[in-house]
Amino acid sequence: MDVGYLAQYVMNGLMLGMMYALVAVGFTLFFGVLDVIKFSHGDVLTVGAFAGLATYLGLDLLGISSPVVLVLCVLSVSALCMALLGALIARYLVLPLRSAPPLNTLLITLMLGTVLRESVRLFYPQGANPKPFPALLPTDSVTMGNFNLRLDNVMMLFAGTIVIVGVHLLLTRTKLGLAIRAVAQDEETAKTMGINFKLIVLITFGLGSALAAFAGIMNGLYYNEINFGMGLLLGVIGFSSAIVGGLGNIYGAILGGFLFAALQTVGAVAMPFASAYKDVFAFGVIILIMAWRPTGLIREKVSERV
Amino acid sequence: MNRPPPPLLVASDLSKLFGGVVALDTLNLEVRANDILGLIGPNGSGKTTFFNVVTGIYPATSGRVTFDGAEITGFSTQAVYRSGISRTFQRSRLSLPLSVFDNIMVGNHKRLNQGLWFNLVRRGAFREEFEANFEEARTLIRVFDAPLAERMFEAVAGFPMIDRRRIEICRALISHPKLLLLDEPSAGMTHDETSALMDDILEVKARFKDLTIVIVEHEMGVIERITNRCVVLNFGQKICEGTYQEVSRDRQVQEAYLGIE
Amino acid sequence: MNDPRPRGGGLIACIVATIAVTAYVIALLVVESQIGILILLAGGVAAVLAAARFGVLARVGEGLARRENTLHLLAVVGVVVATAFFHEDHFILLMMATVILYVLATLGLNVQFGFTGVLNFAGASFFGVGCYTAAVLSMHTAVPHILVLLIGGLMAALIGSILLLPVLRTRGHYAAVVTIAFALLFKTFLEVNDVLGGPQGLRVAGMNLFGWEFNDNIQIGENLELSFYVNYIVLGLILLGLAFAFVRRLERSWIGLNLDAIRLDDTAAACFGLNIARWKITAFTIGNFLTGVAGGLYAMMLGFIAPTNFTFGDSLILVSIVLLGGIGNVWGLVVATTIVIILPEKLQAIQEYRFLLYGAMVILMLLFRPEGLLPRPLRRYFPGWQPR
Repeated sequence: MDVGYLAQYVMNGLMLGMMYALVAVGFTLFFGVLDVIKFSHGDVLTVGAFAGLATYLGLDLLGISSPVVLVLCVLSVSALCMALLGALIARYLVLPLRSAPPLNTLLITLMLGTVLRESVRLFYPQGANPKPFPALLPTDSVTMGNFNLRLDNVMMLFAGTIVIVGVHLLLTRTKLGLAIRAVAQDEETAKTMGINFKLIVLITFGLGSALAAFAGIMNGLYYNEINFGMGLLLGVIGFSSAIVGGLGNIYGAILGGFLFAALQTVGAVAMPFASAYKDVFAFGVIILIMAWRPTGLIREKVSERV
Repeated sequence: MNRPPPPLLVASDLSKLFGGVVALDTLNLEVRANDILGLIGPNGSGKTTFFNVVTGIYPATSGRVTFDGAEITGFSTQAVYRSGISRTFQRSRLSLPLSVFDNIMVGNHKRLNQGLWFNLVRRGAFREEFEANFEEARTLIRVFDAPLAERMFEAVAGFPMIDRRRIEICRALISHPKLLLLDEPSAGMTHDETSALMDDILEVKARFKDLTIVIVEHEMGVIERITNRCVVLNFGQKICEGTYQEVSRDRQVQEAYLGIE
Repeated sequence: MNDPRPRGGGLIACIVATIAVTAYVIALLVVESQIGILILLAGGVAAVLAAARFGVLARVGEGLARRENTLHLLAVVGVVVATAFFHEDHFILLMMATVILYVLATLGLNVQFGFTGVLNFAGASFFGVGCYTAAVLSMHTAVPHILVLLIGGLMAALIGSILLLPVLRTRGHYAAVVTIAFALLFKTFLEVNDVLGGPQGLRVAGMNLFGWEFNDNIQIGENLELSFYVNYIVLGLILLGLAFAFVRRLERSWIGLNLDAIRLDDTAAACFGLNIARWKITAFTIGNFLTGVAGGLYAMMLGFIAPTNFTFGDSLILVSIVLLGGIGNVWGLVVATTIVIILPEKLQAIQEYRFLLYGAMVILMLLFRPEGLLPRPLRRYFPGWQPR
């Protein structure tokens, strides 16, 4: 195989992996603090992408055309709105069900996902159709043989890395991060140490949801298109990545995301004739991984190190 | 003098590690047939872990367990139950939405016909088995509390803690186990309730001649009253055994409880 | 306290209640104007609330629970009367048959999820397996059609067994993801493959039972013609009756107890010798079988199937029915399916919004009444049995 093609595939895989990792980190954060899975996470991503698109259209109407302003506004509005949405979900749907069977949390967030997805489809103007997403980043590119390195992709990878490193620093270097980790470790002890449990949960859900918004925008910029069903696929893949990495482990989630993207990319390279089956392949891999290592690939290694 | 009967349950060099934490440390312990053995020790000394390892919830890290002359090390929870050991849980684990009768019948699993054909098609035969088991469960629960026996088809969720404990012990007893493991039966109950429940347990012991009981308890009054032998654990090891009077005078035991090094 | 007289309403009250319900459903189906339907719905809700307020509902409910055979008879008579009333109306009879087959399908889900706690978010996929099996076998082979239904169920159970390993090795959330992944995989697979018709779907032959063509209208005498959907209602009702009796017996046996015990606390259950894997496999397989059989007959009735019938959203609707009806309660399924299927057909305004509405309804239900519309009663191994 040509080196150029290979580089192209690696680049695509990295982009996918970055998006999966961002979603997976969200799942891991939620599971960490509350031991719950928030199945609406993927659909929060969708809503985030659409909120970003709406922000762009609004600014466009106002005549703002500076790309830097546009990007910053789109990102911050979308991330803030989704952080709020995530906190609201935690406050009104997840926390009230704490004493109910865990199944109910799963069902309620799954149904909320449906409500969000359907709301986008029904209430966003022509929401049932795919929407073009504007190219907000410079699309200059360098071509080397068969490899076309686009500036916007490099910028997104860079931004994604910064976000993930930022979350990591937040968790490990700040008081807030310490509080989140304390809650994740042991809720009761954290409470007795004077940590406002509820607030920390809301902040964590807000943070995770903002990450989803970021991933949603990234998805829109990468494919130049968004649709109401995009979050379902990304949510399931993100969740699987989080599991592969051992739920509750942020490094595992990141690794899981890239691993999953690698698998998909390798699948696409190895079986070009079956490109139509790429999603079938992805879901098949998820089922196989669950059968093989239901508690994740990383966890055991970590416990050995402890 | 007669030779003493062989012990019913023997743990030899039994160890259980969680990561780096040693919960059971080469524990050697014997339970003699027909005893009511008190298993005591400070928090985290490995009492509940011992139950969980014996019943197969956790695999032992090393060591052996033999029961009634046969090795049961590494047995699944199901196999341990079939061999004649049943238990209650520290935090009562009844199925709250189910009826009293249903909960007790869960404990009777090995004596009920579980065949699909029997259950779904041969309803007449099923009815006979059902009625026989109902009578047996009712007789058993009357040993504890007569009014409770009239409320067999009410959900467990509606009963107070003492009744739940009684139901849980009935669930463990209905299959006629040789060994009954009681994990802190007094937890969450008042002094009077505890006292009433201990009367019940002694009554049960009087009725089931061959029953051996191991009881984990923090209430020393309970231990003093109902056990005829005690084993004291600390840091997963046996530090003392004998009658309650003997162990309560032991210096090591006092140190363990008071935390003196 | 030990009143020997059976409590609950008398037989007359039960019959009156059945007549009222049948008449109400018929009225709901007859009325075309949207305002009229809204008024009827409001009236129905008000009547149920009033009956509940004055204890009528509880008394009739108890009376019917005490006379189960009467209840079954009355239910069948109600369906027969409604069918006779609409004997020419294709559209309404199709709706009724759909309700019957959906109840059959959700009975399967109820065994898995309601009894055993095994989540299955791929219900529509297993329904779809039954449909595609019926399509292939009815168009390309000479297998007798009643066997086609059976094979449809077996295929669903067989394909479900692929998921058994991951479902057994995982719990709660993880198992849910396995079935979600399968639901998405199944729909995508149907769309991209060429053999099974791709996105265009497949045609399905109508049911032919020992020479009796189900897709011909039934001519009785000179001037009475019954819609061909009556055939499907009758066969559907028979299958549903069998499945209903089966699931009821399962529930009222040691096996039903095992399933409940595993759902509520599998660690405790394992400590009393229950083989968790065995009973989960049993429940998952039985459930998929029932769902597959329902799918087979549904496909023959529609005559045409396409991947869009078997989306993840449809699976969620099946789960919603179980949740709304009252988890584990077989009669709850009947009530919830009727609401979920008929409401959007009659109220055109909500047709487009139905996924959204059901999602919202389930959320509210989980928050405020998690036991569902008809909470599941305690197990009674033999109804009416009293200890001596």
